Amino acid sequence: MAHVESSVPVPAILQEVKPAVLPRAILVENNRSFAWITDKICGIIEGKTPAWWWICFIIACCVASFTVAGITYLIATGVGVWGHANPVNWAWDIVNFVFWIGIGHAGTLISAILCLLRQKWRTSINRAAEAMTIFAVVCAAIFPVFHVGRVWYAWYLFPIPNSNWIWQNFRSPLEWDVFAVSTYGTVSVLFWYVGLLPDLATLRDRFEAAGNKLRSFLYGLFAMGWRGSNRHWSNYEMAYLILAGISTPLVLSVHTIVSFDFAVSLIPGWHTTIFPPYFVAGAIFSGFGMVMTLMLPLRAVYKLEDLITQYHIDCMCKITLATGTMVGYAYAMEFFIAWYGANPYEGFTFINRAFGPYAWAYWIMITCNVITPQFFWSKRIRANTALVWILSIFVNVGMWFERFVIIVTSLARDFLPSSWGYYSPSIVEIFTFFGTFGVFSVLFLLFIRFLPIMPMAELKAVTPQADVHGGHDQR
Amino acid sequence: MSTSTATLAANPGATAASGAGASRALMIGVAGLVLTAVGFFISHDSHAVALSYLVGISFCTAIAIGMLLLVLIHHIFDASWSVVLRRQFEHGFAAFPWLGLLFLPLLIGSWMGTHDLVWPWMNLNYDMHGTTVGEDILYQKKSGFLNLGMLTGATVAFFLSWVWLGARLRKASFTQDQDGDIKWTSMNRVTAALGIPMTAISLSFAAIYWIKSLEYHWFSTMYGVWFFANCIRGALCCGVLIMVWLYRRGDFKGILNPNHFHSIGQLMLAFTVFWAYVTFSQYFLIWNANVPEETFWYNLRELNHDGSTNQWWYVGLVILFGHFFIPFFALLSYRFKITHHIITKIACWILAVILIDLCYNILPALKDEHGDSLPFLSMNLVWVLSSVVGVGGVCLWAYLRSLPTTKIIPIRDPRIVECLTHHE
Amino acid sequence: MSTAGTTSADPTMAAQNYGLIAAFDTAPALYHAAEQVRDAGFRRWDCITPFPVHGLDKAMGLKRSIVPRISLAGGITGFCTGMSMIWWTGAYDYKLMVGGKPLFSPMFAFPVSYELTILFTAFATIGGMLVLNGLPMHYHPVLKHDQIRRGMDDRFFIVIEARDDRFDAAKTRALLEAAGGLDIKELEA
Repeated sequence: MAHVESSVPVPAILQEVKPAVLPRAILVENNRSFAWITDKICGIIEGKTPAWWWICFIIACCVASFTVAGITYLIATGVGVWGHANPVNWAWDIVNFVFWIGIGHAGTLISAILCLLRQKWRTSINRAAEAMTIFAVVCAAIFPVFHVGRVWYAWYLFPIPNSNWIWQNFRSPLEWDVFAVSTYGTVSVLFWYVGLLPDLATLRDRFEAAGNKLRSFLYGLFAMGWRGSNRHWSNYEMAYLILAGISTPLVLSVHTIVSFDFAVSLIPGWHTTIFPPYFVAGAIFSGFGMVMTLMLPLRAVYKLEDLITQYHIDCMCKITLATGTMVGYAYAMEFFIAWYGANPYEGFTFINRAFGPYAWAYWIMITCNVITPQFFWSKRIRANTALVWILSIFVNVGMWFERFVIIVTSLARDFLPSSWGYYSPSIVEIFTFFGTFGVFSVLFLLFIRFLPIMPMAELKAVTPQADVHGGHDQR
Repeated sequence: MSTSTATLAANPGATAASGAGASRALMIGVAGLVLTAVGFFISHDSHAVALSYLVGISFCTAIAIGMLLLVLIHHIFDASWSVVLRRQFEHGFAAFPWLGLLFLPLLIGSWMGTHDLVWPWMNLNYDMHGTTVGEDILYQKKSGFLNLGMLTGATVAFFLSWVWLGARLRKASFTQDQDGDIKWTSMNRVTAALGIPMTAISLSFAAIYWIKSLEYHWFSTMYGVWFFANCIRGALCCGVLIMVWLYRRGDFKGILNPNHFHSIGQLMLAFTVFWAYVTFSQYFLIWNANVPEETFWYNLRELNHDGSTNQWWYVGLVILFGHFFIPFFALLSYRFKITHHIITKIACWILAVILIDLCYNILPALKDEHGDSLPFLSMNLVWVLSSVVGVGGVCLWAYLRSLPTTKIIPIRDPRIVECLTHHE
Repeated sequence: MSTAGTTSADPTMAAQNYGLIAAFDTAPALYHAAEQVRDAGFRRWDCITPFPVHGLDKAMGLKRSIVPRISLAGGITGFCTGMSMIWWTGAYDYKLMVGGKPLFSPMFAFPVSYELTILFTAFATIGGMLVLNGLPMHYHPVLKHDQIRRGMDDRFFIVIEARDDRFDAAKTRALLEAAGGLDIKELEA
């Protein structure tokens, strides 16, 4: 059966090998052909714009206008329109920033870490997840950029010579954030674009055949003349693997640096060494929650059950379960070390989180982040798509509250009881944050309308007929 | 499986050879243990020898825990390329009961005399510059956790959990060789789902109790993760050594191809980065915040009370370069990962640096009359090495004794063919 | 689609052949044909596939890509840029004491240098890949083949260039036919 290079003698043990039968989950169901995959995915772009798309798009635009309104008012008036006041000088702006950045991380995780781990099931969700990353970074960037107040000075964040001759303070974690987030945004776009190259070439040729000159030209322009050459694929695949390889430490570093914003300070509840991996696990957790929130409706609307199978949903649920449990480990370890460290301020902060004025937020966080994912142990629950979708929303909510709890509770009650306070958001903050869901949806809707929502080339490569040996007898 | 003409006859000498190897390993191990024991009784500082022994046993236990975790992760991922390696790790689990047994002397020593043989806080009268542990408010706050009974109970529970998980995985895997029943694979997945959180907690608290509590004023939430990173790295390096050894002996010829080495090399690279990430984050956050209640732990490892640099500062640099930069750049190369003699050297190097890392975390708890850490280069290194050889020899013996009891590869594993045909 | 002048009056000015293209319906068929073309000793030839076919590099006799070296150079450049920028701005050009921290330390310079390492690696990787592949190249003889659309969809092709020393219109066509190639056509340059 196996054709072996002749020089290597075959050990006797190989003749005894008789594996128990446990078939791998099929990633593309119903034995679909290459052409079916192309037609299915390109069909979404080539077909008439469906009515629901227009409805969603208009709603999304309306929602996005809230952000526009909130920001316009902020620029016209000043940052005082947000609800920040002593002692809570940092609240929804940074909560929302961390929330959106965290959501972006699952996209990179799916495209990079799962690529390195050879988890082939990632192929049908990675394109949409990467798009989600980019759009989430866009939403995240709104908050730090506008919270500088005079946004036309935002370029002061970058080391560009200015008339004061003073340079940026590289000792500040906020400056590290500038580099981390802008690198993250740039590399995510590049990674996404490289993945799109072959699919753009497919679209170019299809639109040319259909006689649509304009769209053929535009897709062709960005396809850079890709022609499917295997000499190109060879370099392309290596480059893709390296991008995956560097995106992995990148995604870790971005949320690590976000966690440094808090952890390098001395505020009780912020200064703890587990913050970096804990933030990363939380980011992946929230990101997977968002991927499921987005992909499950898409799967239903576009009838993609053959491409996003129950196996994919199982995998995503299990990762949510695993990262949710890791987050639980970090909560427990923080609590334990707050006690073990025997620092009264640290100890108070944690008691205050659980039983103080913000206890409601704390218990929402625990319920959503630690308890919700435990439902995913059950196969029956994972098979119930509607329920999975609802649980994924709980995950999103829980992770927003995690950031709220960390940031607001620590600031509202720190060292001096005389300067304690209670923070509530202003209507402008609520508007701005609410609107970002619209901004995100507008971008995402444009994406599913104009770009292939799944990587066709990669999907074809994981089908059984792509295997040049027609089975697993290659050596 | 194959119609190829060139087949190796089942090697009848291999079993006998591994039997002889096992007795030799046991002899070396016992010699190491005896030497450590002699050191313990003749040395004027039995505390130092006990801590050196703690380094040795933590090192071997870390590797065994790493193997356990890798097998659990293998099952939860339904991985394929590592099936062959998994069987070797399962043989490695045979060391758990012996590790537990070899840990006993430290526990027994703690129950006897003034209780401060290993962990100073066990002796409530331990002198701390004019005050005693018992009078120390920080100890009083933590005494519900840091006490003799809790440490003993926790250690016993940890070892029982590891022995139990190891035995369960071994049984399922070995029985599947005979009957080829798929239920064993499902059983292993259940064990993995259960075992990963269990092991995560047990290894974190083992690190806190055994190592971090030596300096019980100090605290860091990252500590368990740091220990986890070292566990996995140690196990991967041992995996490479086993793969190369069995390849040279002939058992793995025709079974392993360069892609297996490439894959394990990639994991070594990934966990080198992960270790660096964790260790850097811990150091960096403490450096940047600059709070005395945390920085003193690093100060002990950098400075004497008069401000001069001590030996541990250089050890820290060795760890920075040796534990991260050198393995990182070496493992970037594809050729290095698949060339047997080079990857072997990298694996040995990493194992040596893990040992130094453990020394760095444990031995500065030994102090002179000024409260400065005793130097790294001292007689203690001899006891560290004799402990490693002693405990390691016993572990190796347990592994070699287990090795011939099963097929060299899990022939009925559902993923075995995918493993044998592993390609990039 | 194409307006190339194949009907030129002067026979010496006739469009030169770029080479031969043969189609294959399945990935295994392409794989085995590629092995034969490789063994026949051709150098200037290529496979056109809608997705990266596993193991085809070996069947074509391609060496491992050198993109990683370019990436490594990019990464080292990025790291050095970060470190030297932070040293120059903070400890040389305009010294400013903030938070009691040293003017320069590799510790606080690390996060930014690290990000720049990754940023520069990404640029080097993608730039290197594009340069090695000679992209963007919006005009290529292969793209003029009327069936090439299928090469981005579900069909596989082998192209052998006329520039190859071993190229011989008749023999090469026979080789491709023997290897199972369908619809063998000449490509104009």
